[in-house]
Amino acid sequence: MDGDVSAHSQEADKETTRLWRTFRTVYEMLADRGYEVSDDELAISLDEFRQKYSDPMGYPDRNKMKIQARPTTTMEMKYTLKTKSNPNPTPDCGTVYVDFCPDASGVGTKQVRAFNHIVGESNYHTGIFITQTPISPSAVRLLSSLPNHICEHFQEQDLLVNITRHELVPKHVLLSPEEKGRLLERYRLKESQLPRMQVSDPVSRYLGLRRGQVVKIIRKSETAGRYASYRWVI
Amino acid sequence: MSTRQAFASVVEESSYAQPTQEEQDKYLAARPGATTRHLGIALQHAQQIQAQKDAEGMILDRTIELLEIPTSPSADPATPSPDDVQSFKTALQLFRPGDYDNLIMERNYEDLCGYGLCPRQNRKQLGATGSTFHFKYGAKGSGPGGRGRAVDIVPRENLEKWCSDECAERALFIRVQLSEQPVWERRADETEDIRIELLEESRERRQRQKQKQKAESSKSASADPQNSESDITAGLRDLKIREAERSQELALERGDAGSSLRKGRVDIQVKEKEPSSHATPTAPQLGPGDEMGGSIEGYIPQEQLEESSNTLKDRDILDQL
Repeated sequence: MDGDVSAHSQEADKETTRLWRTFRTVYEMLADRGYEVSDDELAISLDEFRQKYSDPMGYPDRNKMKIQARPTTTMEMKYTLKTKSNPNPTPDCGTVYVDFCPDASGVGTKQVRAFNHIVGESNYHTGIFITQTPISPSAVRLLSSLPNHICEHFQEQDLLVNITRHELVPKHVLLSPEEKGRLLERYRLKESQLPRMQVSDPVSRYLGLRRGQVVKIIRKSETAGRYASYRWVI
Repeated sequence: MSTRQAFASVVEESSYAQPTQEEQDKYLAARPGATTRHLGIALQHAQQIQAQKDAEGMILDRTIELLEIPTSPSADPATPSPDDVQSFKTALQLFRPGDYDNLIMERNYEDLCGYGLCPRQNRKQLGATGSTFHFKYGAKGSGPGGRGRAVDIVPRENLEKWCSDECAERALFIRVQLSEQPVWERRADETEDIRIELLEESRERRQRQKQKQKAESSKSASADPQNSESDITAGLRDLKIREAERSQELALERGDAGSSLRKGRVDIQVKEKEPSSHATPTAPQLGPGDEMGGSIEGYIPQEQLEESSNTLKDRDILDQL
């Protein structure tokens, strides 16, 4: 009896730890994208996480782990395109909503439909759907079919470690439309003449980049100290 | 059915809003060197992409709709209700085998048997937990040499898609009938040509055919000449059907069958040329110097001239000798 219980609690402990790592990475990701995230949330310890989000059995309760965050003003600036015809544009970003799917297997259109409904109903600009297993192809298509909202999908294991903190991953900085314009003017380029980067690139997914944006990549260089290159997201 | 109408609207390119003249002018003004022909090609491709997107969206909708049938939880997959069969078949006309596999996966996620007309749950936890393969034994006497039982080793996930082996057979029977060609590349009549048959219907039809043949053969025993005649007419009918198939094949080979080429990018109007004169042509006649090869459009080559004069000289000398 005792051995059984301890085996259970061990397993619960393992799952909680894994989910805590994912949870922290999600907050780091939101902060890196430019959403308002408090320092407490960023540095949540395992004990705090266990207190807040575990059920009586010791397993993490994913239904409680819903996150909302508003964009900061710097992020809003990066997503605003000022043109002559539209001098006071609204930024193309808004509140983000993160949902952890509690189902351990078989995530299909049913769960995605429920998620899409929440995003549409509460009018979140961006929705991030996090599941434990891969989702079905129809579910992927359904997720991207919500008009005027951006829905992204991650697996929990994708976010166990924060890839952008790895020493071999250089720093990616998103350029605002104005900065992009200045860059193209400075080097007398068309945007199609820039080197490219896929939307499905892991870093691009992490930063939630969209087609047509330009990122500045800052690498360390032995000869020049720092070296910047640019990528056009396609 | 509404499916077909909706599909027709997807294929019909004119259903997409064409840009207004003002928008077209703006597009052309922003791109120096672009002509209306470029704009036309761009629009055609845009419409193709849009048609593809719409078709994919529709397949997704159908997949979600098909999760809801059969409508009654006590429906029997062997004798489904006509309404369910109708909606099942019309939806599947748009599917490719891959889409059908997605449907099966979705149904399994909802704890349903993969066969669209079966309301039961799929099998779960067959055999020992954690085993990836499962032994499947055939009927007695199905083994090699008619002794023992045949044994199949089947991946467990393949077995757990269905509620029973019968449903697996029914579902796979439908899968092989689906067209590999995506909807947006099919022509409207091609989609209508896809007739999906349930396993039960096919069995019934085959049985009826067999009975008919039996009846005919018993009849033919009494009257032989009639039989041969009917054979010939049946053969002729078959021939015709094959012809249609052949012509379709030929069109595919030529590349005429693609939807994009149906109308073409260039507006071609065939105009027969009016003959300028109605005089009957006369046979060519031998002109002067034609025996030496003649002139080329009025020009007589130098060599030929020299040669002819040389031969003349030669002959002269010979004559002199």
